[in-house]
Amino acid sequence: MALARTHSVALIGVTGQVVEIEVDIANGLVATILVGLPDTALREARDRIRAAITNSGEEWPHRKITIGLSPASLPKRGSWFDLAIAIGVLTAAGTVPRAAVDGVIFFGELGLDGRLRPVRGVLPAVLAAVDARFGKVMVARENAAEAALVPGVRVIAVSSLTGAADWLRGTPGLHDGLPVTELEGGQPLPAGHVLNVGSGARGPAHNDAAENDAAKAAGPGAVATPDLAELLGQAMARRAAEVCAAGGHHLSLLGPPGAGKTMLAERIPSILPRLDTTAALEVTAIHSVAGTLPPRVPLLTDPPFLAPHHTATKAAIVGGGSGIIRPGSASLAHRGVLFLDEAPEFARDVLDALRQPLEAGEVVVARSGVTARFPARFTLILAANPCPCARAAGPAEGCSCSPTTRRRYLGRISGPLLDRVDVKIELEPVGRTELLNDRSFAESSRTVALRVLAARERAAHRLRGTPWRLNAEVPGSELRRTWPPAPGALRVVERSLERGQISARGVVKVIRVAWTVADLAGRPRPTRDDCDTALGLWLGVRR
Amino acid sequence: MSPASLAAELCERTLARAGLTYLAEPGDPALGALLGICEPEEILAAIKADMLPGTGPGCGDSPASRAALERALGRWRIRLPKLPSAADIAGACRDGIRLVCPEDPDWPGGLDQLGPARPYALWLRGNTDLRHSCQRSVSVVGSRAATGYGAHVAGEIAADLAERGWVVVSGGAYGIDAAAHRGALATRGITIAVLACGVDFPYPAGHAELFADIAAHGLVISEWPPGCHPARMRFLVRNRVIAALSCGTVIVEAGERSGALNTARHAAELGKPLMAVPGPVTSAQSAGCHRIIREWGASCVTRAADIIDLLSPLSATDAPAPAGAGSAGAGSAGAGSAGGRGPATLPGPGPTSPAWDPALPYDDLDADTTRVLDAFPARGGAGTSTIAVDAGVDLDTVLRCIGVLAGYGFIERGDDGWRLRRPG
Repeated sequence: MALARTHSVALIGVTGQVVEIEVDIANGLVATILVGLPDTALREARDRIRAAITNSGEEWPHRKITIGLSPASLPKRGSWFDLAIAIGVLTAAGTVPRAAVDGVIFFGELGLDGRLRPVRGVLPAVLAAVDARFGKVMVARENAAEAALVPGVRVIAVSSLTGAADWLRGTPGLHDGLPVTELEGGQPLPAGHVLNVGSGARGPAHNDAAENDAAKAAGPGAVATPDLAELLGQAMARRAAEVCAAGGHHLSLLGPPGAGKTMLAERIPSILPRLDTTAALEVTAIHSVAGTLPPRVPLLTDPPFLAPHHTATKAAIVGGGSGIIRPGSASLAHRGVLFLDEAPEFARDVLDALRQPLEAGEVVVARSGVTARFPARFTLILAANPCPCARAAGPAEGCSCSPTTRRRYLGRISGPLLDRVDVKIELEPVGRTELLNDRSFAESSRTVALRVLAARERAAHRLRGTPWRLNAEVPGSELRRTWPPAPGALRVVERSLERGQISARGVVKVIRVAWTVADLAGRPRPTRDDCDTALGLWLGVRR
Repeated sequence: MSPASLAAELCERTLARAGLTYLAEPGDPALGALLGICEPEEILAAIKADMLPGTGPGCGDSPASRAALERALGRWRIRLPKLPSAADIAGACRDGIRLVCPEDPDWPGGLDQLGPARPYALWLRGNTDLRHSCQRSVSVVGSRAATGYGAHVAGEIAADLAERGWVVVSGGAYGIDAAAHRGALATRGITIAVLACGVDFPYPAGHAELFADIAAHGLVISEWPPGCHPARMRFLVRNRVIAALSCGTVIVEAGERSGALNTARHAAELGKPLMAVPGPVTSAQSAGCHRIIREWGASCVTRAADIIDLLSPLSATDAPAPAGAGSAGAGSAGAGSAGGRGPATLPGPGPTSPAWDPALPYDDLDADTTRVLDAFPARGGAGTSTIAVDAGVDLDTVLRCIGVLAGYGFIERGDDGWRLRRPG
């Protein structure tokens, strides 16, 4: 009778739960039985592990092996239980000391030759391990940097089952050539660390300072970061972008092709402040589960920018999928920007599916047995042409869409979704005079980003002790009750309300945006000037 | 503070009036007449002693009125066992309940118009100044069985009124009354509920929380002493107070036989502006409103601005304007704005210019905004930066001024950016 216990982590969305793996080796017919709601990939683990153990020069016990995963009611999916099961078998067989596996979380997929392969979702798994008071995690070498992001954990990076077994037996590096590396979590990694393997290819949205400088040093030919100053001739749009970045307001852009809608949206990440540690870990965890982490940079510190194509399905936007539930664009854009270009072209149910994350700040995907929650607190940017033919208006330009067609086209974006948008602006094609005149006003992203950062700090300070951090998150009722603008500040806004230009709901949005304008200007409370500016941003769309 | 010492503070006259509210039904013409010629202390003493107070002029002149007075005395004496002691009355005056008498500084003058039907005293819950609140007040009343339309309109009107500093008076009943109170509370305005039972007796019971809210931000008032239960007739008696307290009465929804029409009648009799909100002609719930418009000459109103215009004919439509913002009468479109605009030194479209629209509040624009307005081309649109350069102001100022100008209707959004709005 031999029984061994090891631990690994099951992932539901971006939440991990520690799973106990029990391996029992008993007399009886030679068989390997896996119990505890495993999925197909996990069922295949039996054969993978057997091959891996044999090919690593260890002995596979030819007896009846029962492998139980508990809690049994939790559906377990994925291939990362391999390492824990293999170590469990070795421990039960008595070739690895029992004491060594205590307090260690094993997380990795085994190749048939015994190699340890990297897997997705390491960061949320390690976070769950720390929460469950496990002090050590053993992961594949490629995952080590990601695992080491979590403070208070000791990361053991191994490259093969042999290496793992050697380390557990207290003789690291005895058989396997590659050294086992141990890292303390939560400490900055030295540059060019040996663990940084991979091609180094990175998405354009993930620029860190070092790389920026490198790009500049590289001179012409290198890809420059998009800068807000390039959006010449669209002063109001630049201001709207600044306000949205500072207050987290959702933005709707309307305008003919070529007016600069996409250009503006792409430049918003350049004025967003970098993510703080908590936010960075949240974002990295989501990207880790989705498998979209750039290999060399384990921690995402830049706010993500997601621009899904308008043919995207509901599952692609809000998350889903059979088997392992994957986060969608809405979650991947958590703490960043979700840009829906050509918004009316998106399927209606896709747009409507965004209402729940916009409301709750998270996506809930329910499947039989599990409900996965993904954080999804993003800044939504909608861009639309005024008509389906996408030609500019005016007799010379050739747009022949009737007003009904135009109305119907924009009507595809449902009212409840637009209700969540605080700033709506219209962009017009820019003339020569405007381009010339605007030259003296255009500010670089760096300048604007500093103002945005200061405004966000101001808002966060004011909202301390509340569940909100950004002006856009404060509900309207609370805004009117707790944070009204200065007396008399709403004079013009009220006038506008009487004229029927703006609805009562619109007034709340104007007040909300006025707070951000005041934050940007460093004023303690919106004055009449701030409310007027906010009103201008609201009235900037023909209706 | 012990009830006894508090009782000592309440003067004799206040205690007497408090006592009278326990003994006589409000609106009793006999007591009203008697209070006109005798002091309340004398009357209370006389009731206790079961003898008519001293015969002054008009008091028991004829045998018939003498007999009526004696009958009234008998009526009041029935409740003598229920009359609480001075200490008990003082006890009632703790817990946020207080008494306001006609002699007090915060007695609302409007009630004096009721003559003999004037309340003997009012019981109040809440710390707001009653007299001050009633100076700019509107009663918004209507049927209990309100439709969604009625409740919506009542709430909107009350919220708008409250937002502009007007106090909303209503009866605290279900339906229109509740919508009006809630509307005013939603914009943190002051609202007054006039009940037909003790101020500590939540009727209807479902409004206990609403009354607590009203007491926190306004007043719950009643002629009946604490602990008194409502009765059918009392609502009709109470209605005259609603009409008399406020500057005008708005009936939002009332059926043909609604109690709100009783309030309307009181308002009409007092010579106060009577207003009604129209409803669908097919709606039985609005039939009463339509009738008072048709037969009683009630003004047809649809929004708060209409009501304020009616109640303040000199167009003091808004709360006092912030210091330095515009000149007198700037809030009313077209009123005196043709006299000139802004500082005289600034050039711009005068009365001869095509963009001149006498309905627009030119007087309300500051120097920067006027400059930005002048920078707009006469035809077509212009970009923000071009306007900034032409006006010689920075971009932030232009963006602010665009808000003002768009809000006032000077400019609008066109295909090619912002442009001047054509009048008409």
